[in-house]
Amino acid sequence: MDASDRATALIRARQGDEEAFGALVQQHSRKVFQLAFRMMRNEQDAEDVVQECFLRAYRQLGRFEARADFGTWLYRIAANCAVDMMRTRGHRMNAKAEPLDETAPLPEVGRPGPERLAVSAEIDRLVNDALADLTAIERAAFTLRHHEGRSIDEICRTLNLGKSAAKHAVFRAVRKLRTTLAPFRIAADPGLQS
Amino acid sequence: MTMHASHCSDDDLILHFYGESANPASTHAHLALCRDCRAEYEAIARTLTMVATPAAPERGDLYGLEVWQRIRPLLPPPDPWSRFWRVLWNPLTAAVAVAVFTIAAFIAGRYWPSAEAGAPPTRSAPFAQSAGDERALTVALIDHLERSERVLLDLSNADYPDVDVSVEQAWAEDLVDANRLYRDAAAQAGETTTASVLDDLERTLLDIVHAPATLTPAELEDVRARLDAAALLFKVRVLSNELRERETAPLAPRKTL
Repeated sequence: MDASDRATALIRARQGDEEAFGALVQQHSRKVFQLAFRMMRNEQDAEDVVQECFLRAYRQLGRFEARADFGTWLYRIAANCAVDMMRTRGHRMNAKAEPLDETAPLPEVGRPGPERLAVSAEIDRLVNDALADLTAIERAAFTLRHHEGRSIDEICRTLNLGKSAAKHAVFRAVRKLRTTLAPFRIAADPGLQS
Repeated sequence: MTMHASHCSDDDLILHFYGESANPASTHAHLALCRDCRAEYEAIARTLTMVATPAAPERGDLYGLEVWQRIRPLLPPPDPWSRFWRVLWNPLTAAVAVAVFTIAAFIAGRYWPSAEAGAPPTRSAPFAQSAGDERALTVALIDHLERSERVLLDLSNADYPDVDVSVEQAWAEDLVDANRLYRDAAAQAGETTTASVLDDLERTLLDIVHAPATLTPAELEDVRARLDAAALLFKVRVLSNELRERETAPLAPRKTL
């Protein structure tokens, strides 16, 4: 689909042409899924976000400004659908991990092999756990900043937040992650172990 | 030289890590000289480097088609106007329609009696000057109410013992000024119900803004109790739904005053 086809599909979709909307769905689904997965960290939830995103987009097509970029508009809808789903399903979407035993010896992070893989898995588990403890807006803001590489200004526009709120959301998420991952950070830095 | 009168805050360092420092050169220079800040920055960087981006499961070339087949039966039925526009979109039909409309407008302009100079101006809506303005304002107000609802919901759902409400406070602060404008506009337009809900909302937003950034469980319970007593979430949702219905309703003939 070239730029002209995309523009035509968009115009026709705004006029209620389902087939044209279908073409847009097919064009943008994978990108929406990727964002949804990063936000939700769960395949089924991500699929639900994709579905809700396109249904919401269809209902709101009348509000879409023709001069705007459809992909950007859809991205915002997807991010907000994910936020709403986090809220609906509660903050703790992942199974809560067992608390870290800080007295247990930690494997050395630098060593390759099964132990290092185990450490990576443990870090992923704790990161998931820490993210699950964030509020929906903190988690969304952090995901957009850290994983999606969006600037604070873009996060403001995407999540409809003021600049101060967007920054605070990212800061608080980072603070919680630091607390959760502190034992690993110390293990990884021999200079901090003494 | 390792000690400095003014160290970088953690928040500054987080922004610096993400390349969003207000003054990157100055932060960089400070980090080169200040051992404490450099250690703090390295700790932040190490933590954030550990947070790997999750790899999304692969989706094949037919994924878009699968999504479309899944959602197609769920789409709301199209309204008759969309069918009209679809027919009109056909370039030939559109060209003919435009030509006919232009000729008709030209003839009507020549023969239709002009409006009397002293005729009173019509007032299209209580909230705005024209139907377009009204719709735009309605959409903006719906958006404002949705954002406010999210702040209230976040506070209602805050977990113990984490009752740091700094994000909600910053968010509420962003909403207060807009809320005041909407409330004044509604009051001037005689939309008393809307003005009343926005008035309640403004007081609650200000309470949130002026509360301590970290609430004790008792203080949080107090905030929740006030929210419940005012039934504010319920009122905001009802108003939001009413406005949404108003927005999606076909344009009715405008009343004149």
